[in-house]
Amino acid sequence: MTEPLDGIDLAPPPPPPLSAALEAELRGLRPAPPRKPWQQLGVVIAASIGWAFALAGLLHVRSDLVDLPRTWLVVYLAAWLIGFVAPLVVLVVPRRGSMMTRWRVAALLGGLAAIGFVVGGLTLARSAPTSTHYGLGYRHLCLPSGLAAALVPVLLAVLALRGAIPQAPRLAAAGLGAAAGCIGGFMLHLHCAVADGVHVGVVHGGVVVIAAGLCALFTPRWLAAR
Amino acid sequence: MTAADLMARYCDGDAEAFRALYAEVAPRLLGYLIGMARSRPLAEDLVQQTFLKVHRARAAYIRGADPVPWIYAIAHRTFLDELRRGKRAAATPTDDGELPEQTAVLSGESAVVDAERPVVDRERTRAALDALATLPTSQREAVVLTKLDGKSIIEAAEIAGTTPGAMKVRAHRGYLALRKLLGARS
Repeated sequence: MTEPLDGIDLAPPPPPPLSAALEAELRGLRPAPPRKPWQQLGVVIAASIGWAFALAGLLHVRSDLVDLPRTWLVVYLAAWLIGFVAPLVVLVVPRRGSMMTRWRVAALLGGLAAIGFVVGGLTLARSAPTSTHYGLGYRHLCLPSGLAAALVPVLLAVLALRGAIPQAPRLAAAGLGAAAGCIGGFMLHLHCAVADGVHVGVVHGGVVVIAAGLCALFTPRWLAAR
Repeated sequence: MTAADLMARYCDGDAEAFRALYAEVAPRLLGYLIGMARSRPLAEDLVQQTFLKVHRARAAYIRGADPVPWIYAIAHRTFLDELRRGKRAAATPTDDGELPEQTAVLSGESAVVDAERPVVDRERTRAALDALATLPTSQREAVVLTKLDGKSIIEAAEIAGTTPGAMKVRAHRGYLALRKLLGARS
C-alpha cells in the first residue's frame, strides 16, 4: 500500500526577506550574553535563602526553636528546602545541549509541594512545652510574611528566565511560584511559633498555593518570548 | 557552521550570524508554518514575528545548546496566539480548547506545490496537503513535524509542549486519518 506522504518532497520554500522591524533591530544589534543556568541557579538559591534568614531574623526567630524535637525540625526544614530547590533546578537548568526548560516536571514538583505542605502541616505539626498554641483566629502575619520571602526568588528567577519558556509559561510560572512559596514556608518554620496544625497546614502550606497562583497570574508574560 | 555556533556569534553581536541563522532555519520554519497555517502570507508573517521574538529573547540562549527546537517552540506559540487572536485566521478556540478547522488556503499559493514540479508530483502533493488540512490542529502539527519536517518524536513533543507519548499517539492517529482520506480520494 502506498503511504500517504511517500514521494511528497517538501523542499524548503525560500524564506521571505527580513522584515523592516528585524532589519532595524539588527542595525542597532548589541551583544546579549547568553545565560549561564548553573550560575543563575546558584544566585537565585543563595540570595533566596539569605533573604529568608534575614527576614526570619528581622521578624524574630521562634521562641520555641530550641525545645522542638530536633529531628522533626531539621527534616521539616529540609523538606521546605527541597520543595524550593527541586522545581527551580529543573526550571532553570535544561538538559545538556538543550535550551528547553523542563517546565512540566517543575509544575508537577510544585503541585506536589503545594499539596504535600498543606497535608503535612495538617497532620505532622509538632509543638514543644514552650510553644504558644493559637488557632486560626489569632491575628498573625504569616501569609504576607511568607509571600514577602517568596518575592526574591520569583523576581530573580523571572529575570534569569526571561524569554526562555515559550511553551506553557503559565504552568512553568506556577511551578516557580510554588518553589518560591516553599522558601516562604522555610522562613515561617524558623519564625512562627504557632504550632496549631490547621495554622501550619492552611497558612504556611497556603503560602505555597497562593504564591503559585499569583505567579501563574502575573509572571508568564515575562517567561515567554514576546 | 551549526545553528548553535551561529546563535552564539549572534548573541555576541554579530548581525551576519543572525542572517546566516535565518537563512538556515527560516525555510524549514516556513514549511512547518505553511503546513500549520495553510496560508503562505500568514506563514511568512509568522516567521517574521518568530524571529523578532527570538531577537528580543536572545539572552535566554545557552552557549552550546541547539536553538532550533526553541525557535520552533516560539513559532508554535506564535501560530497558536495568532489563531486565538483571530486577527487573520478568523478562528477562535472552542470550549474544550481545540482550534476549529478552517478552509484550506494552501492550494495555489503554497511554495510547496510549486509550478516547476512534474504534474503528477504536484497533484499528489496538493492532495496530501489538502487532506492534511482536514486533520485536527494537534494531529496536523504532529504529522507536519514528524513526517514532513523530519523531527523525532521527542523533538516534536518538545516543540508542541507535550509528552513524547502523546505526540506519538497524535502522529499515529493523524497518519492513519491521512491514509484513510487519501485512500478514499484515490
